[in-house]
Amino acid sequence: MTKSNLKQEIVPVLFLTFVVCISVIFLYATNSFTEEYIENTKNEAVKDMLKEQFTELDDYVYDEKMDLYTVFLNDEIIGYAFTTVANGYGGSIELIVALESNFTEDDEIIIHGISVVSHSETPGLGEKIVESSFSGQFNGVNINDVALTKDGGKIDAISGATISSSAVVDAVFNTVKEKTDIILNNLNINNEKGS
Amino acid sequence: MKEIIDNLKNGIIKSNPVLILLLGLCPTLAVSTSIDNAFGMTAAVLFVLISSNVIVSLIRNYTPQRVRIPVFIVIIATLVTIVDLTMQAFLPSLSKSLGIFIPLIVVNCIILGRAEAFASKNKVPNAIMDAVGMGIGFGIAITIISFLRQILGTGNLSVFGNEIFSIPGLSENPMPIFILPMGAFLVISLLLATLRYSGVIKSG
Repeated sequence: MTKSNLKQEIVPVLFLTFVVCISVIFLYATNSFTEEYIENTKNEAVKDMLKEQFTELDDYVYDEKMDLYTVFLNDEIIGYAFTTVANGYGGSIELIVALESNFTEDDEIIIHGISVVSHSETPGLGEKIVESSFSGQFNGVNINDVALTKDGGKIDAISGATISSSAVVDAVFNTVKEKTDIILNNLNINNEKGS
Repeated sequence: MKEIIDNLKNGIIKSNPVLILLLGLCPTLAVSTSIDNAFGMTAAVLFVLISSNVIVSLIRNYTPQRVRIPVFIVIIATLVTIVDLTMQAFLPSLSKSLGIFIPLIVVNCIILGRAEAFASKNKVPNAIMDAVGMGIGFGIAITIISFLRQILGTGNLSVFGNEIFSIPGLSENPMPIFILPMGAFLVISLLLATLRYSGVIKSG
């Protein structure tokens, strides 16, 4: 390989590497500058979501392993909340589900409320899952009654949007079962440790 | 001076990226559900377009021909990531409604197209004017489309939470089809057809 050939080969590589290095520096600077703000806005958003359910909350703890928010008032647990995703008609429906804290067994689980974080359901039809006429139906309902009325439950489906409605109901039911199992297990372990 | 004004006018009218060149249709169709989105998208595109044109034009004499496209892409991707992070930090609600379409500015053909076709061959002032013209041209097109879609789809017009007016009758019974993806195709095709028919756009 002649010298000029080598130069032709190597210069583009070096130039591209140089551009990438400069770009990395800029990205690193932007990231370290915005990181804190992004974290803050996310925390604010989570707190607002929890406040929607527990208006009186003063603190919350997030358990990453269980993906569970425990909500406190005056250092006492007043409820639990967690996010879940339902497969709606137009895509994923992100929900936050809040539970009353005073349960010690499977059949005492009461839903405090649910709210929709994001969705892409059809405007005018499935979109109504965000309205309190639908999502408000979950307030204070025992988990065993979380089913559409046609399946013997207490939740009325939105007319014309059965898929969206049942997606929400199924997601709430399944996730509540799954999470409360974990919560109850933890309670039992703690009790055994205590006794 | 005349040359610079020509560069500016070129993007807005003669070769409007959306209405004439039909470039960057993906974000135009996808986020034009409300005027707020249109403004947010225009601001993001304008920033990326101007910065990328300036940088590409500055380094045009040093960029080896063979790696110019990867170099442009790296520059554009860096700028887009900066915009994305800044929006997430300071305008979280706008960032949420524009969603994936901010990162997708990287592959917006308007930006790579202008870097390759114009900025890499012209001086910095011309490149800036070209970017401003193209950005405004894109902004005008997406604003018209989202204006029509919002009016027809919801029956009222509100900008950043302030309701400007609502059409009696239509606001009670809006046509949500225009907010759905299908409505975007209807609006843009009718808009293009109208512009062609009325002679605003010369075919060819």
